[in-house]
Parts: sequence; structure tokens; C-alpha cells
Amino acid sequence: MAGAGGGGNDVQWCFSQVKGAIDDDVAEADIISTVEFNHSGELLATGDKGGRVVIFQQETENKSQPQCRSEYNVYSTFQSHEPEFDYLKSLEIEEKINKIRWLPQKNAAQFLLSTNDKTIKLWKISERDKRPEGYNLKEEDGRYRDAATITTLRVPVFRPMDLMVEASPRRVFANAHTYHINSISVNSDNETYLSADDLRINLWHLEITDRSFNIVDIKPANMEELTEVITAAEFHPHQCNTFVYSSSKGTIRLCDMRASALCDKHSKLFEEPEDPSNRSFFSEIISSISDVKFSHNGRYMMTRDYLSVKIWDLNMENRPVETYQVHEYLRSKLCSLYENDCIFDKFECCWNGNDSVVMTGSYNNFFRMLDRSQRRDVTLEASRESCKPRQVLKPRRVCAGGKRKKDEISVDSLDFNKKILHTAWHPQENIIAVATTNNLYIFQEKVN
Amino acid sequence: MDVEAKRIMALSISKLYSLRTQRGGLRLHRSLLLSMTMRAARDIYHTAQLLRDAEEEQVVPCAPDAATEEPMEISKDSSQTLTPKEVAMKPQESLEEDKENRCASERHSRKRRDKAALEPDFLPLKKAKMDTDEEKQHLQGEILRTNNGNSCRQVDTLTAFPTNRAIVAC
Repeated sequence: MAGAGGGGNDVQWCFSQVKGAIDDDVAEADIISTVEFNHSGELLATGDKGGRVVIFQQETENKSQPQCRSEYNVYSTFQSHEPEFDYLKSLEIEEKINKIRWLPQKNAAQFLLSTNDKTIKLWKISERDKRPEGYNLKEEDGRYRDAATITTLRVPVFRPMDLMVEASPRRVFANAHTYHINSISVNSDNETYLSADDLRINLWHLEITDRSFNIVDIKPANMEELTEVITAAEFHPHQCNTFVYSSSKGTIRLCDMRASALCDKHSKLFEEPEDPSNRSFFSEIISSISDVKFSHNGRYMMTRDYLSVKIWDLNMENRPVETYQVHEYLRSKLCSLYENDCIFDKFECCWNGNDSVVMTGSYNNFFRMLDRSQRRDVTLEASRESCKPRQVLKPRRVCAGGKRKKDEISVDSLDFNKKILHTAWHPQENIIAVATTNNLYIFQEKVN
Repeated sequence: MDVEAKRIMALSISKLYSLRTQRGGLRLHRSLLLSMTMRAARDIYHTAQLLRDAEEEQVVPCAPDAATEEPMEISKDSSQTLTPKEVAMKPQESLEEDKENRCASERHSRKRRDKAALEPDFLPLKKAKMDTDEEKQHLQGEILRTNNGNSCRQVDTLTAFPTNRAIVAC
């Protein structure tokens, strides 16, 4: 289907599926905390606050019925992390899954990294669809046969069985982070990955769990002088020596691991001068970057702060090449958003397969599609009301002030408890996964 | 403007306080943003206060309330320079980690209300308390790097305790 994954505004999005409980009473453990497609897009993983990982698999397309778009169904569910208690510091460690990252597939099994605040785990997800039958010494149920009753020999054979998907933890990478882990990123070399917390970034080898290398450390000698923290980090998609990390001050640093073992000195610093007319008590908070993502082609990177999405050309450090306002109508409401803590929400962002469209979430279960090539944007809503199969999503509009037009929603009517923080785009097709508080919506491009 | 600043300052302090009881341990990023906002609000509020007191002084030449004018040298905690009314809010508790020191500062605050001339120099560095926790965490989690400054920091904080308690005793 639509191989290029282009999302130009010719694309109409329609409802495909919704996963999760329907009732409004949300159990805290069910709150989705991360969403990630694997490299082929066949698998979609979600992590939740209860430490569970649920993986959905795309059904192989029914060629005889092209109208029937392939659906995602539950493939595997497992408990990745449990709540822990650090007795030394009297701290409870939450089991919430902060990030999931898939490894590129090397053999029949699938591998993913999942992390909570302190520990990263490598999970192997493998299928079993046949089992050996006809043992000589054992019965089918496993009991040993009485040796005296064995009179003949036979060769055990594999017989098909109901598909069983097993998830097993293959590595546990623990005790390397003092602060809370916010990012993990697999290197293009397929051997190493990085993990970042508020003040440090560590480099791991996927095979080695008892050692990691610290490559960035921004902890000041005197904690009273702390002015910024690391908010996200990612490896370059092709250059295995390059990674970026964003800060709470709105800057992004690009580091080259060939330059030195410790990458405290950046190779590039991306920073846009602040607009003095927008200065307020909350300028610091809203300039904090909540997510950074490289484009698939590796030429650009995208950052998300509270009110905007910025696209940066890696060759230009002094300002972004594109800036998109996500919900500018909130700028006059920052004080209320500070009161209800919404100003601290960390929105993520993602690219489509060919880097022509970017997507990010907002409040009231709205999410925004920002078309770079056509310089157009649209606001859509993930709601149970638009859940009829193949129902086309209608663009939504927010009225900032003054007279509210028909079909517009006023800023004061927005539900700030319904926020879309996590979204993911299929790497090749126009299929998107949008997580509301406890539901996962899957939308697809409308096919005629 | 300063009414807004005062409100944001109070809001920030109560948020910092509630952070401590949240599951999962101290959130460094959130507490950093909260304290920065609180500091910005506090600065605005104090500037406004100073301007207002300067105006009052011109109009009515009586001794100004020293408690509100004495600026703290280094402090994240703005409570010491608030008017007695604001001290009644529990702001100084928000950055206290240690029960003993909490009592100490409460005694300080009562003293300040009565004896406005008291210098705040001997008051515990509230920031140090919060940082001690960070230091301890940091020392646990070291991998290849050593951060030499930290061990000195801990010593500083430890010597600070007896000094404060001695003063409180008298």
C-alpha cells in the first residue's frame, strides 16, 4: 500500500481500531506511557504505567478483499517491570515503562528494549508453532514411561500446534542511573545503545550488562549551580558515532563519539535566541524540550517544546528551518496550566516514513498533523464518537477568542485531562497509532 | 504584577512540597523548573516590595520592617524574607528534609517575627538539604567517572547541622 508513506493533505484519515477499556474510570496502571512501531511496522508495542508491554501484530493483508485494511491484534502481553524499592535511599522505583525501542530484526525472533526509571531490559519475543511429539521415554503429558513397557523405538516428529508467543527477558541492564531514565536509543551499529537520565548519558553494549560507559555528564560539582537537565537523547539513524541530546533550556547538543571518550563538549549546539516579547514567568518551562527525533533520512531533527514543533537542519545551528505552532491559543493560559500542572506535560512527536509530515499530540484528545511539503496543518481528534469502521476524521478547530464559529470549540471548553502525549507513525505506510490516556487508536489512510 | 508574582511564588512552593511525597522519588527536572519559576516570581515580588517600601519611607519616615527587607544571600527558599503573614504558610517546610532542622527554622521564624533585627546568616542553607539527597544518590550510582567535588560538599553540609542547632539552643 502507499509505499512512500507520504502524508500530504490529500490524505484523509479514517478510523481503523481502538484498543483498551471503554469505561471512563481509568485504572492508573492502564495509562499508556509509550507507543512504538517496529522497523517493518508489522508490530506495534505499547507500555503502560503498570509496567506491562502489549504487542500488536498486523494481520497479513487479505488480497482478495482490498477494502479490508489489515488490522492489528494482540500478539503478546507481558509484565516487563515490577515496582521496586531502593532500601538504601528509601525510594520507591516506579514500574511505569518510559520508553520501548525495537531492535532491527536479525532472525526469527523479535527483540525490544524497555525501560522504567532505573532499569533497562532486553526482551526476546519468539513464536512457537510446532512441538515435538512421539518421544520414546515420555508420555505426551510429560510423565516418564515405565522402561519395561517400551518395546519399539520411534523417531519423534514435529507436529503443528496452536501458535504460542513467548516473551523472555534476555538481559537486564541495571544500576547505572542515579537519576530517572528518560530515553533509550539503539545505535545503527546494532551492537550498542544509549540510555539517558536527567544528568548523564550512558553507552551500553547489548551483550554486556555489568558495565556501561558514561559519555555525557552535565552534573555540576555544586548542585546549587544546576541550571539545566537532559530531557531526551537519540542516536543518528545512520552515523553510529553521532547522537543528540536536548535540554530543559531548549538547546540541543550534537556529539561525536570519535572526538573524545567523554562527550561533554558538544560538536554542535542548536539554539534559537528567545523572543523577548514572549517573556513571562513560564518562559523557562515552555522552552524545555520534551522530545527530539531525527528524520529517517538523517538530515533533520525535530524538537517538541510545550507550544511548538521545530525542525532543525543539522547543518544550521542558530535557528530551526521550520517552526510550527501546536496550540498557540494556550499561550495566554499558561498560568492556569501551571496551576493544574499541565504545563509540565511532555509531548512526543514523530515523522512519517518519507519525512514529509510530522505529528504531535495536544489536549482534548486532539492531535496535529503538520505537512512540511505543503505547509499545511490539520487538527484531528481521537474520540469514541468517531469510531465507526472507516469513518473519516473531520478536521477540528479551536476558537482562541472572540466569536466562536459553528463546529469550533472554545479554548475554555477543552478537556485538559484528555491529552495525547504518545503517537507513532508506521515506517512505510500511512497508519498511525495515537494513545489517549488508556486507549490506543489506530487510524489509516482512506482507500477508495 | 507583584500580586501575581506572590501567587506564583506560593504556588511553586506548595508544588515543590508536594513533589516530595510523590511516588518514584524526587523528580529533578520538575523541581528545577519549579524552583526557577519560584525564584523569578520571588525576584519580581521583592523588587516590587522594595519599591513600595522606598515609597512609603518617603511618605512616612518610620523604621521599615527589616524582616521583609533583608535579602537572603544564597537561598532557594524565599520564606525567610516574606512578611510574617506569609511565614504562616508552610513554605519553609517545603525544602526541609530533616525534622530537626524543620523545628529549628520554625523557631527561627518565630524569632524573626518578634525580633526583626536578627540577621539571617546563621539560618540553615535549605538548598544544602535538598542537595545532600542528590549527592547521596550520585555517590551510589557512579560508574567510571568520579566527581571529586562531591565528597567535600557532604562534609560542608554535615558541619552546618551542629552550628545551627547550637544557635537555636541559645
